[in-house]
Amino acid sequence: MTSALRRAAVFFALPITLLAIWWFASAGSTDFLMPPLAKILEVFPETWSRHRLTHDVAPSLIRLAVGFAGALLIGIGAGVVIGSSRVVRLFAEPVLEFLRAIPPPALVPIFILVAGIDNVMKVLVIISGCVWPIVLNTVEGVRGADPVLAETCRSYRIGEMLRLRMFVLRSASPQIVTGARQALSIGIILMVISEMKAASEGLGFTIREFQTGYQFPQMWSGVLLLGLIGVVLSLLFRVAENRVLVWYHGQRAAARVSR
Amino acid sequence: MIRRFTAVLAGAAMLLSAAACGAKETPPSTPGTPDKVTAGVVAIVDVAPIYLGKQKGFFTEQNIDLTLQTAQGGAAVVPAVAAGTYQFGFSNSISVLVAHTNGVPIKAIASGNGTTGNATADFSGLVVKDPAITSPKALVGKKVATNTLKNIVDTSIKELVKRDGGDPAAVSLVELAFPDMVGALDTNKVDAIFVVEPFLSAAKAKGWKVIGSFAALDPAMCVALYVTSQALAQSNPDLVARFTTAMKKSLAYAESHPDEVRAILGSYTQIAENVRQGMTLPKWPADINRASLDKLADLIVANGLTSKKPDVAAVVS
Repeated sequence: MTSALRRAAVFFALPITLLAIWWFASAGSTDFLMPPLAKILEVFPETWSRHRLTHDVAPSLIRLAVGFAGALLIGIGAGVVIGSSRVVRLFAEPVLEFLRAIPPPALVPIFILVAGIDNVMKVLVIISGCVWPIVLNTVEGVRGADPVLAETCRSYRIGEMLRLRMFVLRSASPQIVTGARQALSIGIILMVISEMKAASEGLGFTIREFQTGYQFPQMWSGVLLLGLIGVVLSLLFRVAENRVLVWYHGQRAAARVSR
Repeated sequence: MIRRFTAVLAGAAMLLSAAACGAKETPPSTPGTPDKVTAGVVAIVDVAPIYLGKQKGFFTEQNIDLTLQTAQGGAAVVPAVAAGTYQFGFSNSISVLVAHTNGVPIKAIASGNGTTGNATADFSGLVVKDPAITSPKALVGKKVATNTLKNIVDTSIKELVKRDGGDPAAVSLVELAFPDMVGALDTNKVDAIFVVEPFLSAAKAKGWKVIGSFAALDPAMCVALYVTSQALAQSNPDLVARFTTAMKKSLAYAESHPDEVRAILGSYTQIAENVRQGMTLPKWPADINRASLDKLADLIVANGLTSKKPDVAAVVS
């Protein structure tokens, strides 16, 4: 119990300190761009009303979820194919490096041409940025599979699907998870960016609307909300990670004990 | 936690940079040397007078060395003027009134441009492609493109729908840059667009129908204003007065020399020669039309852009 309390204290110590600094540093600020934190927190509840949460925040989060899931599917799929074969890897590498270096915000106008301005475009923007860390980490994970286990699978003539599920993906999963974690934070950024152009609802759209309407406290409250969403999503991600990698964490703990 | 930390850190960084910006002041004028000023404008037809005035030497006459810098939209110019990045700037009247009401320290010092007085031949237009849409009311439930949210275009679209008996809240407004609008309507990504010249000419050339305009709301609408920061107006009222004098002369000159306006447009826009010759020019009244601003202030409150009515007298005084 005390250890849980201590962990909570450690978790909140820095955020609370920083908020306190922000609070006192901005108190009495007359700069219209930097309203006092007190004012930002004051407008927070009325700004993020139930209507806004269901009409703007929820659609954004759904697009993020769909985009992230799409990136996982495509990224892991492509990563396994590329990682399994040296020839494919050599072929794909230059293209991967080229595509990876293109910033997704620069692609927004092109996606608008191809996919219109609705949900499809926004999801494509999210996928186009999220997919790269997943692909590259999956490739590395698949490449780094234990050669002895790989040989063993082959010797026992283990079926392709079973081998893929129980060996290839399993042994690559720590790296896939690392890639997915990077992709998640990219996804949050792109969720906002995809709504800053040609949108009619969403969290990024709302923040932009506050900006052009010179409602700076409301705009900052949106930025705060984004940060909070980031914290919650990373906590959720940690829960999922502990599920997926339970064998891996167990293995590492066992290795530490035996050493 | 990391992300939260980054967010706050970014906030702190912005605080510092904003403080640094706020500290930027224009040095007081020294007799004999011209005042170097920068004005933030949007590269559209509306600002032709300031380009023309600069070329004709109206600003040099007033001992002002003027540099023009183009920004994406008028909504972005206003904070830059307030922070001292630009000494003067051009923005649409609604953005100016809303900014002032929300505490952005700016004031209007000259008229920008106005409507033509003819609702069916304005330099602006709400354009539809679908022949089934015959009036703004039919845009309820449809997607309409505005160049910026919560500015004069956005507000005019809502007001046109409202006056026609439709529910403006049921119109889905999409932010698109003016140059992208004709293409977006052509490919049916939106159902209507609100454009100004020269894009209006391009839209009309496609055979599309104009179902509204700024002029339909107010034949003598004051569409835009030139602004400065309250800090500069206080620290160097002489410079501001000289700028206003030069601006008024430029506006009057542009109003009476449309051919020179059409010619100078080629210097700061990509508008083709034949389009420049054919398009409708706005009016450039030399003085700020307060009656029109009062009407816009009413629209601002009616459309919920601000909770209290903008104080027009305080903005233009």
